[in-house]
Amino acid sequence: MSLLVTGSAIVAQQGDPLLFDVDLTAVGIVVGKVLVIFAFLLVATMFMVWFERKLISDMQNRIGPNLAGPFGILQTLADGIKFFFKEDLIPDRAQRRVFILAPFLSFVPAFLLFVVIPFGGDFNDGNAGVVTIFGRETFLQVADPPIGVLFILAMSSLAVYGAMLAGWSSGSKYPLLGSVRQSAQMISYEAAMGLAIIAVVVKTGSLSTHDIVVTQAGEGLGGILPNWGVLLTLGVPFVIFVIAATAELNRPPFDLVEAEQELVGGFHTEYSSIRFALFFLAEFMNTVTMSAIFVTLFLGGPAGPVLFGPGWLWGIIWFALKVFVFLFMFVWFRATLPRLRYDQLMDLGWKVLIPLSLGWILLLVALDLAQDQNWNLFAVGIGAAVVFFCAAMLLRAAVRSGQATRHTLEVPD
Amino acid sequence: MGLGQYLPIFVMLVLALVFGAMSRVASHILAPRLSTVAKTDPYECGIDASQEPPERFPVTFYLVAMIFIVFDIEIIFMFPYAAVFSDLGVFGFVAVAIFAFALFESFVYLIGNGAMEWGPARKAKPEALVSPERTAATTIRRVGTEGRPAAAATVADRTPVPTEAA
Repeated sequence: MSLLVTGSAIVAQQGDPLLFDVDLTAVGIVVGKVLVIFAFLLVATMFMVWFERKLISDMQNRIGPNLAGPFGILQTLADGIKFFFKEDLIPDRAQRRVFILAPFLSFVPAFLLFVVIPFGGDFNDGNAGVVTIFGRETFLQVADPPIGVLFILAMSSLAVYGAMLAGWSSGSKYPLLGSVRQSAQMISYEAAMGLAIIAVVVKTGSLSTHDIVVTQAGEGLGGILPNWGVLLTLGVPFVIFVIAATAELNRPPFDLVEAEQELVGGFHTEYSSIRFALFFLAEFMNTVTMSAIFVTLFLGGPAGPVLFGPGWLWGIIWFALKVFVFLFMFVWFRATLPRLRYDQLMDLGWKVLIPLSLGWILLLVALDLAQDQNWNLFAVGIGAAVVFFCAAMLLRAAVRSGQATRHTLEVPD
Repeated sequence: MGLGQYLPIFVMLVLALVFGAMSRVASHILAPRLSTVAKTDPYECGIDASQEPPERFPVTFYLVAMIFIVFDIEIIFMFPYAAVFSDLGVFGFVAVAIFAFALFESFVYLIGNGAMEWGPARKAKPEALVSPERTAATTIRRVGTEGRPAAAATVADRTPVPTEAA
């Protein structure tokens, strides 16, 4: 393992130091990192599918996949191979080109989403996660663009197109209904998700995912607690992000998009063979990536104590453990929570999460300013509480008046 | 800085596209082609498709998309502010607070006008529509009004009522 040595230089410029002057070595390292992450994503997705099936089985008191490989761990691989041998159908009424394009629009953003996630490196003692590979300093992160957080939002928005066009081009009613539902759901929760991310940006002061992790690696309150985003933002944006991310991923309890009882399979009803497999891959890959985004934004990414041995390896270990917590959480949600009704879903997104996250950003900014300007924190707190209460009352009145606009069903005598 | 930081994203994009293309080619070679009319018909659980897919949707879906644009633009405005808010001080906070107020006010107006009302239609007399008891012949409770007399919870009402058609 002499390949990777933890560097000590602190990066003055923003961005991955590897890519300030790009030469053949740099390109080689980039391609290497991309290949590693690509393989990791595929394996992690396969693992996630198996993990979900196995864990759900345990929670439902049955065995689950147990024949392919030890503990059935190769079941996903077997399913994937089977998909290659299945007939690939295009419905007569489909818009052929869009129908073929849609799976690509779904899974390419899923791959791209992971590139901005820092997945390893030593962040202790001002190391900033720099490692040296073949004599070049770099981050254990595929890319560190200065707009990393915006890139995450952009890619998760692009995924809407895949589902929307898949449903529309199928020329069949269930996929169309599913895709319209999905678009409305995803854009609704994207707003709440974006606002929750802004709360993290407020506390870390940077849009680069690497800088966000570096900020969280510092010492937190009292020197005991970690300086993680979940604590910096006082918890609420984290909860909003959990709900919004679950909805964004169309996972239970927000999986109205593929509510079997109503819509057969949702937007991919007409898809078969490898085209369906690509949608399926994208869905579970997004689950893994979203867990990684959670860790990056709220749980300090790969930052953690080094117990023994090389620091960069502990970064990877901490990262994997933290991601695992969220993978478990998503499966647990599925096993526990019943599906929401569509109006409840929309009400939760628009009437609760968006106003709350907007207010929370202003609260965080006000508290920070109060500290800067030496204002009385107690007075600021009281003022914020009053503003929150007034806004909540106003919103409540609006919701009541909105409900009154629903048309009334006539009852014959 | 430069565009070098975006190089890995491009490499990943190419790799993902190659992966997708390879899967398609593999499927093309390996998969059988035995297409029949039944297979390429729109899937409707085994029934012949009788209707075209709907072209009209509840207007609320369109409203969601339009209101989303408002919030998306708001988010775009908030990101730069969030990154540099400590440099802007009180002035920046007041400006953003006014912006947020203007946004919230119009949001309240939309909600108050029922732009986000997805719920089922309000029923005038729910108790007249649904009888808590079961009907005589089946275990299905009487629900709804279309084509049937209002269900009342009396025993006399549950005897078969001769309809006008009969």
